[in-house]
Amino acid sequence: MNFTQQLVNGIVLGHAYALIAIGWTVLLGVARLVNFGHGQMYMLGAFVTWYGVSRLGLPYFVAIPLAMLIGVAVGYVMQRVMLQLTLKQDLVSIMIVTLGFGYVLHGAAALFFGSTGQILETPFSVKDIYWGDLWITYQDIAIVIAAILFFAALKYVIDRTRIGRLARMVAEDPQLAQLAGVNVRRVYLGVFAFEGAAVALAAALVAPRTPILTSMGFDEVIITFVVVVLGGIGSVTGSYVAGLALGLFTAFFGAFVSPAYATAAAFAVLIAVLVVRPGGLAVSPGAR
Amino acid sequence: MNHGIKTILLAVLAIAGFFVPTLLGGSGAVYAACVLIAIFAVMSYGLDIVVSDLGEVSLAHTVFFAVGAYTTALLSASAGFGPILSLVGAILIVLLVAAALGFVTLKLREFVFSLVTYAVAVVAATIAQNWEFLGGSDGLRGIPAFEVSWLGFTARNDQELWPVAYLLLIVAIYLVSAFRRSKLGQAAMMVHLNQRLAVTSGVDPQRIRLQVFLVSAPITASAGWLYAYQRAYISADVLETYFLILMLTAVVVMGRRLLLGPLLGVALIQLQEKFFSFGGYVDKIILGSVLIVTLAFLPNGLFGIVSPLRNLFTRRAAPVGKPIPERS
Repeated sequence: MNFTQQLVNGIVLGHAYALIAIGWTVLLGVARLVNFGHGQMYMLGAFVTWYGVSRLGLPYFVAIPLAMLIGVAVGYVMQRVMLQLTLKQDLVSIMIVTLGFGYVLHGAAALFFGSTGQILETPFSVKDIYWGDLWITYQDIAIVIAAILFFAALKYVIDRTRIGRLARMVAEDPQLAQLAGVNVRRVYLGVFAFEGAAVALAAALVAPRTPILTSMGFDEVIITFVVVVLGGIGSVTGSYVAGLALGLFTAFFGAFVSPAYATAAAFAVLIAVLVVRPGGLAVSPGAR
Repeated sequence: MNHGIKTILLAVLAIAGFFVPTLLGGSGAVYAACVLIAIFAVMSYGLDIVVSDLGEVSLAHTVFFAVGAYTTALLSASAGFGPILSLVGAILIVLLVAAALGFVTLKLREFVFSLVTYAVAVVAATIAQNWEFLGGSDGLRGIPAFEVSWLGFTARNDQELWPVAYLLLIVAIYLVSAFRRSKLGQAAMMVHLNQRLAVTSGVDPQRIRLQVFLVSAPITASAGWLYAYQRAYISADVLETYFLILMLTAVVVMGRRLLLGPLLGVALIQLQEKFFSFGGYVDKIILGSVLIVTLAFLPNGLFGIVSPLRNLFTRRAAPVGKPIPERS
């Protein structure tokens, strides 16, 4: 349990957090939407991957797109159901509806997958690398690489492409975007489908690190929330940095103070920031 | 309707409500269900004034419920306090917690406010599971029977606890209706519907929010107080999402700002779960779906479907303001 090992753990954990939060970053920053069912969607992604690998006997690389596909479907259905609320920008109702969706997903997953804990084993997670007295798995390396690639691609899409510009325009002013001939509904549906795919990908990569349960997902929501808010709401680069910082913080706090309270401590940091600088969080919509 | 007649009608309804379990057969299961409905309705009324009147979604009300339950468990089982002192203790502690939470979230609005309160609820569950002082994952046992010795009142089962639960429910409904008529309640509505108007009328939205929070938290905590006695055992599962979803659904399902809405909502949900259950997981899907469908497709709740029918009978809307007295 030396310093370097915790540093490595923190970096891996940080990339995992950033990856988990990416769907939310886009949702909030690009479309001004929230999703409290995010944690349960993460749980679903992990279980679909697990089901594909251990029950259907699919290779890991096929199970990941399968989980993402189901994530897209769930995201699409969610947004389809609350499209009217989204068009009215009724955030209060959207929050409660997504919370309800999370609850339904939990019930449905427990019904289908059973309520016992499972372990998601992948070809990477069983291979260890020892380097001196440092220890990591290939899965950890895959998480770091995937997170960096994903963030770079996302930054490129949002900043440089037509799709990114459309989504930002809708976030800035939905009515104006509609007048300009943008199909606002399609953008909202697309953003939610992206959120579903992104969180499923994160789950497929990150979930092998810990046992999975259908009742999980709450910690992931808190982590996501801390990353998104500390990173400056909706900022892609900010989320990456905040995720990394939070990962390091959690790793060291878990190692030197108490692992059980690591999430609580991360949240305490956030509360401190909110109390000291509440205005610093009001980033304009469509911010990068 | 005449104010005097309305009061009498309400009083009759309140007295009749007490005999509902007897009318339903008076079996143990009926009393158990009725006591739980009363407790959960009181819990929901606390959230009702925040969601329906103030227009903010607090997801930390499960924490207030848990604070009420845990304080009661600690005071009654470890310190030997009676129910009345436990209630006072629970209300004092929850006021402290609500004030702290209200202070932290004072400047936050809408989704950031909800996110922080949701995070508070999740973190509270982690703390309750891990902190030895609160019994950790085993919870707290040995809560004595509900006994007020100077009144000679003891409640050992749900049937004997029913009068207490019903009284608590009536007090909570009265408080909510008094709140809606009070200056604070009206100021809260103004902050909800038109914040600029509120500010220009000399109403401080942040202060109103904090005050509404402080009114709301003890109501939900008192439900936790009775829940501790009813179960005689409290563990971290009082912080489960179930209670949050139950409260939110109860508040919105009938229609917002209906005085008896939360009670009827809780009653419907509990009846389904107790007497028409399809197993825990399917019940979860049902409860969550009711919440989703209500918000997405029935903005005025179930009552919103029925209320247009009333317009068939009363053609003219009631005049605004006081009726002008006729000249003699």
